[in-house]
Amino acid sequence: MKKLISIKQFTITITFAFIAIFLTDQDALAQVKIVTSVPDFAAIARDIGGDKVEVISLAKGYQNPHFVNAKPIFITKLNQADLLIYNGLELEIGWLPILITGARNSDILAGNSIGHYNASASIKNKREIHTGPIDRSMGDIHPGGNPHYMLDPRNGIPVARGIAARLIQIDSENTAYYKENFKNFVSALKLKISEWDTQLAPFKGTNVVTYHKLWAYFLNWADFKEIGTVETKPGIPPTPSHVANLIRIIQRQNIKLIIAANYYPQKTPTIIAQQTGATFLLLPAMVEGRDGINTYIELFDTIVGEITSTLINKKGL
Amino acid sequence: MNLSRNFLILIIFTLIFSVSPNYEAHSDESNDVKNELKELRKMMEQMQKKIDKLEEKNRVLEHQAKQKEQPSKQETIMVEEEKDLTLIEEPAQESQSFFTKTLNFFNPQISVIGIFSAAYYSQNDPIVFAENDPENTGVNLQEVEVGFQGTVDSYFRFDLFLSFNTEGVELEEAYATTLLSLPLNSQFRIGRARAKFGRINQIHRDSQNFVTLPLPAAQFLGEHLNPTSIEANFLVPVPWYLELSASGGSPDVETPTFARDENANDIGRLLYIFHIANFFELSEALGVSLGGSFATGSNGTASGERSNLYGIDLFAKYRPLKNNPYQEVMFQSEFMYLDAQTPEETLKNWGWYAQLVYRFAKRWNSGFRFGIIDTNTPVQEEEDTEAGTSNLFTTIRNEEGEEEAMLGLLGRTYRISPMLTFNPSEFSRIRLQYDYLNQDFAKNQHAIFLQFQYAIGTHGAHPF
Repeated sequence: MKKLISIKQFTITITFAFIAIFLTDQDALAQVKIVTSVPDFAAIARDIGGDKVEVISLAKGYQNPHFVNAKPIFITKLNQADLLIYNGLELEIGWLPILITGARNSDILAGNSIGHYNASASIKNKREIHTGPIDRSMGDIHPGGNPHYMLDPRNGIPVARGIAARLIQIDSENTAYYKENFKNFVSALKLKISEWDTQLAPFKGTNVVTYHKLWAYFLNWADFKEIGTVETKPGIPPTPSHVANLIRIIQRQNIKLIIAANYYPQKTPTIIAQQTGATFLLLPAMVEGRDGINTYIELFDTIVGEITSTLINKKGL
Repeated sequence: MNLSRNFLILIIFTLIFSVSPNYEAHSDESNDVKNELKELRKMMEQMQKKIDKLEEKNRVLEHQAKQKEQPSKQETIMVEEEKDLTLIEEPAQESQSFFTKTLNFFNPQISVIGIFSAAYYSQNDPIVFAENDPENTGVNLQEVEVGFQGTVDSYFRFDLFLSFNTEGVELEEAYATTLLSLPLNSQFRIGRARAKFGRINQIHRDSQNFVTLPLPAAQFLGEHLNPTSIEANFLVPVPWYLELSASGGSPDVETPTFARDENANDIGRLLYIFHIANFFELSEALGVSLGGSFATGSNGTASGERSNLYGIDLFAKYRPLKNNPYQEVMFQSEFMYLDAQTPEETLKNWGWYAQLVYRFAKRWNSGFRFGIIDTNTPVQEEEDTEAGTSNLFTTIRNEEGEEEAMLGLLGRTYRISPMLTFNPSEFSRIRLQYDYLNQDFAKNQHAIFLQFQYAIGTHGAHPF
């Protein structure tokens, strides 16, 4: 009899323990849980959400956002999310859809425009949109446009607006707080943009070579010209003949600068730089792409700062 | 606008000149003419005014149009700020052609993957373990897989995969997955799907790392274990990833281990599969998943005879995120144990494989696999069977015309497979592999494969 009771008690305890485990995720602090695909959005969301939000980014800033491992642990994070912010334009096509399916979270499904924020929907000046016939012999192209729009700092504003609008919908109690933070973010960014504009102004029209078609938006903003890429086609690694050709072009046009995001291979561009006398600049392409870059503004402080100081040095020579 | 003005002026001048000769000819009517001229002048002045007004309007319109086309930097920013923050904006219109628009709306995503292998076997009647492994010396069609995938509504998505091979077509998968939040973090898969048993069984051929299927998977699960069933998956809220799965259904697809029971009305004799999956992120570069599986169901040798299959799977991926963007090392291993009841005896078989794959450059990887299957209860090759069934390994199933069941093993078999793969892009692949097969009851077999794989259509997802 005693044994029976203890078994009963044991079963009851186990059952309650399980129920408790399943229910604990409900209590939570009243913070809005935000999951972003890349750290740029996380940084902006932190600026706007302040202490009212809890933000995590799935990809790291020093990682190629095209190729992220769909780790099952990400499913656990998306399962808890109130808001998913991602880049769109197929940047995350190889890894994010499968995670969203696994997340079993109605809030972040594509049909829900509040919890599912494809930030590219807010971008008006998309570049390299393919309207004609396309196929994969053209390399790893994105039919909806070049997805690296966050490298134009002006695009931080519509994205911040999109995030603020959603936070207000999800957590209307703190509307005033989010509005205030949004205003502060925009005015700080605008001030900075005009600063960067002045910094870049003397170098307008500079010809550069890049590794990947990553800098289209940045170059458009800075008014630089991309003469070629180290990759033969987007996503296709360089061939010797392509590199030889590129070296010739760099020498003929006297190009001073080769830039690449720090998640791309450095060997080939280093060789090209050595042979041509151009400077190879390895840049962070996302927030947290390098230690010390924790905000969207700090990202451009670094990028603009390094590019302009390199060009000044080159002129000095 | 300028043209029309010139035209007007031209008309007016013609009027004036056509009037003036009359004036000279009939001086007596000069007063009338003078009046007419005055009127004309007035008209001209009015017209000029109208023209000026129109021009001004035109200028304003043109200016506005220009502004719309190329909003200056500052203006865009101002517009963005002034918008009401409490509204979610509509997605920006994408400039797409009508054709692409109609194509994209509502249609499922379609993908086609073809896998072909040139093979050389060291013997005439090669020993092949899985249905889609290369069959003979020569060029083999391994599989053409056609996938249709899409969202049904806000509650379900539906995935369908057809597998074409030399034998014909198989409905490899066709299942719905629930998308919405359900109690206990559950998710259901309904339909025919690759069962959550171990790891390799959940991976389609095109995502596998070797030309041939690992020995234990081929022996115990067949090409794939894909019963039609209802599967419940629970995501347990623990600090790591923990998913519990349970499914029940019909083994309506031929598998080596499970078959429909004669007494098909008995719910207890359906196929039930349980799986526990864990994933631990040991560091940002190293992830380890560890799982356990159990499947139980009738094996078709006689009514009420069951097969119990146990599995353990381990997968580890090491991929440094900094500096070496494309290098990764993957280790994968599974152990399976089968306990199969037959009218004669209870068969106890086991199998194990381990593979190591090293991706040393963006487009290159190389790997090595060892696989073994063995048995505690070797069956005897039956001498007295008719010609053509001399390769019979096993206890015969009771089904009519179904003489080649593979429940029993003659002895120990192991296989060693080194491999080298080149992926020209994410959508094509060339793979070279050597298989050395050793069986303690038969001659050794050597095989060399050169596999080609091509994918068109939707960009597929890459499961971890």
